[in-house]
Amino acid sequence: MGKRVAIVGYKQTKHSFDNLVSRERMVYELVKSLYSDIGITKDAIDTFILASNDFTDGRTISEVYIVPRIGAYMKDESKVESDGLNAALYAYMRIQSGLYDTALAIGFSMSGSEFRAPMINSYVMDPAYERPRGLINFHSIAALQARVYMEKYGFKERDLAKLTVKDLKNANNNPYAARREQKPTVDSVLGSRPLYAPLHEAHVSAYADGAAAVVLASEEAAKRITDKPLWITGVGHSMDTYYLGDRDLLRMDSLRSAGEQAYRMAGIKSPKREIDLAELHTNFASEEPVFAEALGLFKEGSGKEVVANGDSNVDGKMPVNPSGGPLGANPINAAGLIRLVDVCAQLNGEAGKNQVKGAKTGLAHGQDGPGAQQNVVFIVRREK
Amino acid sequence: MANETRIMESPWDLTTYSWKVEADALNLFVKGLKDKKILGRKCTKCGTVYVPGTSYCRKCLIDIDQVVEVRPEGTLDAFTVNVSDIRGNPVEHPFITCTVKFDGSESLVMGTLEGWQDWHDVREGMRIKVVFKDVTTGALADLAYFQLI
Repeated sequence: MGKRVAIVGYKQTKHSFDNLVSRERMVYELVKSLYSDIGITKDAIDTFILASNDFTDGRTISEVYIVPRIGAYMKDESKVESDGLNAALYAYMRIQSGLYDTALAIGFSMSGSEFRAPMINSYVMDPAYERPRGLINFHSIAALQARVYMEKYGFKERDLAKLTVKDLKNANNNPYAARREQKPTVDSVLGSRPLYAPLHEAHVSAYADGAAAVVLASEEAAKRITDKPLWITGVGHSMDTYYLGDRDLLRMDSLRSAGEQAYRMAGIKSPKREIDLAELHTNFASEEPVFAEALGLFKEGSGKEVVANGDSNVDGKMPVNPSGGPLGANPINAAGLIRLVDVCAQLNGEAGKNQVKGAKTGLAHGQDGPGAQQNVVFIVRREK
Repeated sequence: MANETRIMESPWDLTTYSWKVEADALNLFVKGLKDKKILGRKCTKCGTVYVPGTSYCRKCLIDIDQVVEVRPEGTLDAFTVNVSDIRGNPVEHPFITCTVKFDGSESLVMGTLEGWQDWHDVREGMRIKVVFKDVTTGALADLAYFQLI
């Protein structure tokens, strides 16, 4: 289906809770070093897609301040007001259109130090039914979802804590992660500040300052740039309803649909067997079993078993978030794109202590909206 | 009735952002203003002079740090006669807002224009000079206005 599109370059910042420089300087340094790593200049990029958000940037048309910093001055650029994996999807589509051979996708935010992410997120809610009552935000919606899953499948607070420890330990081994928890344990997770039961502070992703960028290329252009392209073999995206009351938080229909589209396109019949690792955009640890199951990576309701057997560990049957995922660093708008960058690093054997042995096919997931209303899935494959 | 609408008031007072901005170029500019000088930066690769300076050249995508002083004189670029204030309310005494290109610089600096009697006589390309405040403090407002020469 369509043209073959490759990822020929990828990079993320070392994320932090209080970045020393401005966002403009941060993306400038990131993109310049990415160009230099893959041996191109800005002139080699045909189109630039930026993921940012006026909310999280504190100014309107928030990408325009960044445009000249990535080499897009006097060139073609566009923006997605959503998670960064949407920018990669948009870039992918532009190359598919045949009008462009190369594209840079970038996501960035300063959600660690410049504003309070949960505060901003509460303004996303529906102004007629949800916002006036002031009862729900991203966090409490995740708590509602966690409770549904736990009740239905006997997934206990200690199981969730154990899963959280897995992610926090992976994050400790990830040089790009912002969060460093000293010796995370089930007890330290359960002893962290309760927020919205069953969620504690330790379950919440690490809102951070950071950015990520990828360079996509058509087959012809990819050959010019690299001798080890990573191929995007499947993409899927889907949007659920805005009103929370019309959604099934457990089934995650939009994620399910995005996954099915991507698998169909990539010719994947059995995700469990054919995918070597998954990087999921989990804003909360409790989302991990729900998302992984909606994507068919584990049997439905198997969270307790998966945690007990360590199936989602780096050396497990289906490693999930070997990077630590957003629990290690969640720069809003970059988080999903970071998943893609981490998958690429895994496929090229660059993931250090978190390396999944022999990883050949990876899944990257991005999401946006309360309760993961909108979802994007990428399947990426190494050729040799 | 399907087409009935109602008003729901909902505040939109988001939060206070703590933006980090690149300080070196801004600091250079206001430091210059304090000494009643116009300072900018020049790209050593393509020669573009930026006033106020920037930390990088957007054309070459390289860091730049060569400081240049430009004479506080230049030409009037574009202007408008403000018969309304920034919120659209009529003003009693119309004033001119303009952009100015200092000699030797490529960027435009914005300010107000003085030294005219009838705005119909004001033309793009007229020569101007900077008038600083008597007492400068190292702020953007040290640049009081542009005076037609």
